[in-house]
Amino acid sequence: MSRYLVRRILQGILTLFLAVLLLHLLTTLAIQVNGNPARAFFGDHVPSKTQLAAVEKRYGLDDPCFDQTGNPCLGPFVHRLGDYLHGDFGTDLHDRSVTDIVSTAAPNTLRLFAVVTVTWFVLGMLLGSVAARYRGKVADGGIRGASILIDALPVFVIMLIWKYIVTVPVYTSLRDKLGADSFWATLFKPSFDRTHPWATVIMPGILLGLAGSASFIRLVRAAQLENYGADHVRTARAKGLAERHVIVHHIVRNSAIPVVTAVGFVFTDALGGAVVTEGVMNIYGMGGTLWRAVQTNDVGVVMGVVTLLTVLTVVVMLVVDLLYAALDPRIRFD
Amino acid sequence: MTDPNVTALVAEETHQVPPGGAPAPRGSRSIWAEALHTLSRRPTVILASLVALFFLVVVVLPGAFTSTDPQRCDISQSKIHPQWFGHPHPFGTDVHGCDVYSQLVHGARPSLVLALLVVAVSVVIGMVLGLLSGYYVGWVDAVVSRVIEVFLVIPLLLAALLVLSLFKGIDTGNGTFGSIVQPAIVLTAFAWMGYARYVRASVLETKNLDYVTAARVLGASDLRIMVRHILPNAIGTVTALVPTAIAGIISTEAVLAFLGVGVQPPAISWGIMISNGAPWFLGGAKYLLLFPLGCLVATVLSFVVIGDNLRDALDPKLR
Repeated sequence: MSRYLVRRILQGILTLFLAVLLLHLLTTLAIQVNGNPARAFFGDHVPSKTQLAAVEKRYGLDDPCFDQTGNPCLGPFVHRLGDYLHGDFGTDLHDRSVTDIVSTAAPNTLRLFAVVTVTWFVLGMLLGSVAARYRGKVADGGIRGASILIDALPVFVIMLIWKYIVTVPVYTSLRDKLGADSFWATLFKPSFDRTHPWATVIMPGILLGLAGSASFIRLVRAAQLENYGADHVRTARAKGLAERHVIVHHIVRNSAIPVVTAVGFVFTDALGGAVVTEGVMNIYGMGGTLWRAVQTNDVGVVMGVVTLLTVLTVVVMLVVDLLYAALDPRIRFD
Repeated sequence: MTDPNVTALVAEETHQVPPGGAPAPRGSRSIWAEALHTLSRRPTVILASLVALFFLVVVVLPGAFTSTDPQRCDISQSKIHPQWFGHPHPFGTDVHGCDVYSQLVHGARPSLVLALLVVAVSVVIGMVLGLLSGYYVGWVDAVVSRVIEVFLVIPLLLAALLVLSLFKGIDTGNGTFGSIVQPAIVLTAFAWMGYARYVRASVLETKNLDYVTAARVLGASDLRIMVRHILPNAIGTVTALVPTAIAGIISTEAVLAFLGVGVQPPAISWGIMISNGAPWFLGGAKYLLLFPLGCLVATVLSFVVIGDNLRDALDPKLR
């Protein structure tokens, strides 16, 4: 196990390094082709040469290689890697560090993810198990139809419908009946409220979890179906065990492994969804920060947040892989 | 050499026409015919195909549906509510007085062309890399697998937001192609990995089967073995992924357009219409959001339904 652990961690570090390099190369190319983002600092105002040079220096974009198309700019890359290792992910246009922005925004994203994970897990396990248990029956067909419908409604559309069509009338009527600070009214608030960070995150979280649950339901169903026909299940039944016992101990437990691996992919999916959800619902989280940075053209923040989220993804995937190896000994000996 | 299968195989490898005269029917055709047969018996699939086909016709021939220019806007006629057909503005006009119906018709093109282009190119990239890495293994596989992993850890939407906001403002021309080329490149770059993985897995599974070894013994080249004997096994899985992927790209494009980094104005796409219409929903002009949203959901739903049934028909294990 320890050898697998070391190898997997080294691989993770290599992937992380290459991903950061890829982001750097894309950024460099963009600067060389599209002009220096330092100019965004001045907005519509045309800066003098010395002003521009000063700002370029502040953002570390004064290296001559940024003017030579095709130059990979490895010098600034090493410099930037050093900054990353010191926890410096750049600043926004108002000189606030990205690390600072993210550390105040992260708790709201964690709240959202907590709600998403619970929703997603409960829905997926419950509906997936029911669909597998009653394969080919009405329940299976209904669940399948529902999961197709969920798939057909992108997070973006769900959030727009929720914000513009559902919440406003519901919120207004609840506010008039129960008062603006009542729990039910805040639950349906059309946008995030910092004084009620949990209540205003619950419904967007449930919706985002619902949007991600479709593929998870299918996965749980497929994993359990495989076990319904397996030898060990037939043996358990032949021993005369109750169907309930067989399902809980022999089928659901054995189908847990592919379900754990899915966590990694669902995480990246939910990350994209969180950007949209937080953006549309004005939630002050990491995704919302990214959303607004794209709208205001704050390239420094976009780069910093994307890099941070990439690091996070690599770590989550690594943990999932190690968990997988801990659960299933066959994986370690390949 | 009495086994008819072996005779056929030898004939195929040596380019001889089998004794029957006409070339022997391919084995793979029956799977497709079967899948088509299954699909054509499901009313939901037929309905979904008709919807998808309708929008494809709109994309190819927008002129057949409207003669109004979507760019010709009369501010004095702004926010006319839908008057239905027979009037100059059947679906009303938007804030700037542009005809909503004509915008819907012309807005279909960028979204759908982008989705088809991205999926087609990424399938090709994925298949080539998956074939090479699964067939040659060794260092080719090591490199390709690492590249796949690197692209996988950067989520599609995040990468698209980063790159598109970096390249914002570059003029790529005004045509359909010019307005979609940037999102097309970025989305393709981060959408091919799934196909590569599926094809690679399928190649690893089939490349040591007896019939492949037989073809190799008979002197078939690597390229021929890959294309004729190994790839057909992977095509089914990949095809089943395509409609769902198209649906995914259409909705991603809407998000990008909403943020102003997708299809660039003056081109119109449903995403741009949704973005412009959303704030007016509460201002009494509900149709400005509902029409483009309805078109988007109808298209995505039809592709998802087709994809789900196709996966079912081509992969009987899941039934």
